[in-house]
Amino acid sequence: MTGAGNGTGRGIAATGLYLPRQRLDGAEIQAAWGAAAPVDRAAVPAADEDALTMAVAAGRDALSSGDLAAADIAHLAVATTTPPLEEEAFAPRIGAALGLDSAVSTTTATQSTAAGGEALLSGVDSDGPALVVVADAPEGDAAAVGQRVGAGAAAFLVDDDADVVLTDRTRESRDAPGLRLRERGRTEVSELDITTYERTTIRDVVSTALDRLAIDHGTVDAVSLYQPTGDIPHRIGTALPYDGGAIDRGTVVDDVGDAGAAAVAIGLLAALEAVDPDSTVIAGFFGSGATAVGLGFEVATAPETGVTAAIEAGEEVPYPAALRARGTIGETEVAGGGAHVSLPSWQRTTPQRYRLAAGRCPDCGAVAFPPEGACPACGAREDYELTPLSRTGEVAAVTVIGQGGAPPEFVEQQRRDGPFAVAIVESTAIDGDGSARFPAQLTDCDPGSVSVGDAVTGRLRRIYTVEGVTRYGLKFVPE
Amino acid sequence: MTDAYIIGAGQSDFGSFPDRSYRSLFDDAFDEAVGSVDGDFDPADVDEAFLGTLGVGGRQLGLSGPAVTEHLGLHGIPTTRVENACAASGYALRQAVMAVRSGMADLVLAGGYEVMTDMSGDHTKWWLGVSGETEWERLSGTTFAGVYAQMASAYLREHDATVEDLSRVAVKNHGNGAQNPHAHLGFECTLKQATSAPDVAAPLNLYHCCPTTDGASAVLVASEAVAADLADAPVRVSGAGAASGRVGLFQRDSLTGIPASETAADRAYEEAGIAPEDLDFAEVHDCFAIAELAAYEDLGFCDRGEAPRLLRAGVTDPDGDLPVNTSGGLKSKGHPIGATGTGQVVEAFAQLRGDAHVQVKDPAIGLTHNVGGSGGGVTVHVFERVEEGEL
Repeated sequence: MTGAGNGTGRGIAATGLYLPRQRLDGAEIQAAWGAAAPVDRAAVPAADEDALTMAVAAGRDALSSGDLAAADIAHLAVATTTPPLEEEAFAPRIGAALGLDSAVSTTTATQSTAAGGEALLSGVDSDGPALVVVADAPEGDAAAVGQRVGAGAAAFLVDDDADVVLTDRTRESRDAPGLRLRERGRTEVSELDITTYERTTIRDVVSTALDRLAIDHGTVDAVSLYQPTGDIPHRIGTALPYDGGAIDRGTVVDDVGDAGAAAVAIGLLAALEAVDPDSTVIAGFFGSGATAVGLGFEVATAPETGVTAAIEAGEEVPYPAALRARGTIGETEVAGGGAHVSLPSWQRTTPQRYRLAAGRCPDCGAVAFPPEGACPACGAREDYELTPLSRTGEVAAVTVIGQGGAPPEFVEQQRRDGPFAVAIVESTAIDGDGSARFPAQLTDCDPGSVSVGDAVTGRLRRIYTVEGVTRYGLKFVPE
Repeated sequence: MTDAYIIGAGQSDFGSFPDRSYRSLFDDAFDEAVGSVDGDFDPADVDEAFLGTLGVGGRQLGLSGPAVTEHLGLHGIPTTRVENACAASGYALRQAVMAVRSGMADLVLAGGYEVMTDMSGDHTKWWLGVSGETEWERLSGTTFAGVYAQMASAYLREHDATVEDLSRVAVKNHGNGAQNPHAHLGFECTLKQATSAPDVAAPLNLYHCCPTTDGASAVLVASEAVAADLADAPVRVSGAGAASGRVGLFQRDSLTGIPASETAADRAYEEAGIAPEDLDFAEVHDCFAIAELAAYEDLGFCDRGEAPRLLRAGVTDPDGDLPVNTSGGLKSKGHPIGATGTGQVVEAFAQLRGDAHVQVKDPAIGLTHNVGGSGGGVTVHVFERVEEGEL
């Protein structure tokens, strides 16, 4: 997934991707509703996932793919239509989870499925290395948009001298509301279903923007177009000179579902993966309102984006499990209180919860986790030097918390995702000297299949929500 | 320094009594303790009280100790509430022993109480598991059973032990508890039932876990002079050991034992001048089956990894060489958190005076072992029979 950095202009130097593990087959929807499903397959986020956790996963993938380290990033641009809160910046937490410098500039594009295009432009227009992350998990009424919603995230490391150079960008805006909207206070996207109005608007706005790109339209090899369903890119394509094969190369909605703002970004990864060196790739973002962003790329060397492999991975879940995981089948609230951990207490420990920052005793060199209190080995009460543990460790002890047995903080998650395993994980310091243990919840696995000795790797997930604030931290997934 | 003696011990019924208050339950325990005193006991002679409770449910979170002694009519005496999770009243006893040995008090009430079964499911969820390490352990999503299950997973991996060995603890302790009229779950169970029950936190199933229980227990601790005056057959507290441990299991070097139990036992044995081989019976903290296995090893009843062998060979059965949990243990008798530590003393007192429901043959020395949380605080007490006329 890496670029060699021998390109000729600013563009995409490396990419990252994240798709939730659970997949819902369209046949399940067809069986339930008695009508053809709008997509063949959709990715279903677990109850402990959201746009933020997926953004971090994709961002981490991009950072591990390229030549740039987290500390090199000067700008973070994020895009989603489903931020965890309607008001409150969420880029800072993504930056903290990825270990970016606190001085990075951040922008957030939201409120439109065109946000992915806006974030990419923000990255290209910034100075220095930029990380662009587009993550989304739209929701819809189970009888309507909910039948096609998916989820996923794409990340792009943007830098000078990239292998995938952005050669031109265009925009088109016009007053055309009501194609896809979410009312204030609602979580579900709705559509008015005025078929001709919708199709015509999408086709005209997107094709107008793309037509203005200063590229040779006859040599375009792959195109990622607005894709709430598989037919829409081809309908847009009727107004453009691209062949059906080029459009198919950038269309992933029938594999991941309608991933909102992330759909075209993931489609762009698929397009990049599909083309040969010295190709032209186009992305056409669209958002109701309406606005379109057209991007034209010259691909010197196509990066391995991993889309095909990621699409083929995953695990099929039955329709009721998908509805439960999404929270469609009601939500619960646990009354009462006790053992409350305050928000400042939690925030004090985020370096440990996000990045496993352990402590090294300055006197004896032992590793302590968390890095607080007297040294576990020599008892010294000195300030620890922070030393990160590897995100991959080994299960030292494990159990399964069965349905109904979870602590109150985890009741709703367990109701949606089922029994979960809780382990004591042992991980070595990244510098190789010593190790420490910590308790951790396991996720994305059959909890009963995990044994002492298994290797597990950390992923940022929602831990629990209290007083409206979601607390995030690493959970672990078997290798 | 005077020795400390138990001259009376009693408990309420252990069980589910959602309409009973913790104060009325303690009244029962106190009355039974007073009733067990050989001589003429005057409640006005109690100098001080140490009462253990976790405070499940919140209730009278502040000053719950005085609220209990006030209910008994013990007005004016200094009363201290002791909180060390499930070891609360083990530590209350320790305080009482210290008060008597120091000479500050001649007659001290030690006890504990807890009401756990009168709350909604939601409230119960909040309160169970508050004794684990909160910031990391609890917020990884684990429960109290989960932490002990993690220990069990490591134990089964490290030693030649099976889930069936865990179930043997339940079979033995239920067999004993079935004879105890105060027991919460006073029924017998078969090995098949105890191995095929649904999982609570794998590998621990329902029969590997103690119940949540309402109840109270009370112990009267006296100086030598008072014991000589009021008791025909008092019981000497010949060893009082205690130790703290890392509150979170993950912070300990061993995942298969409780280091604080080992330390507390060493201290108690040393003070009593005995070795584990000298014990005639033991009441150990079997909140979960794995805890009883770990206790055998931590308390020196056998080497590491040998606990299953003891169970298989019946060594800890009532007719074995070292009967353990003749009361039924936490598993069958019940585990009203704050009442458990002194509840164990009720059994030790009865055994050494020949009054136990499952009586060990002519015991002279017994032990109680009380664990807070998964091992953050432990008390071990050694008790010795005092022959009539010895004082």
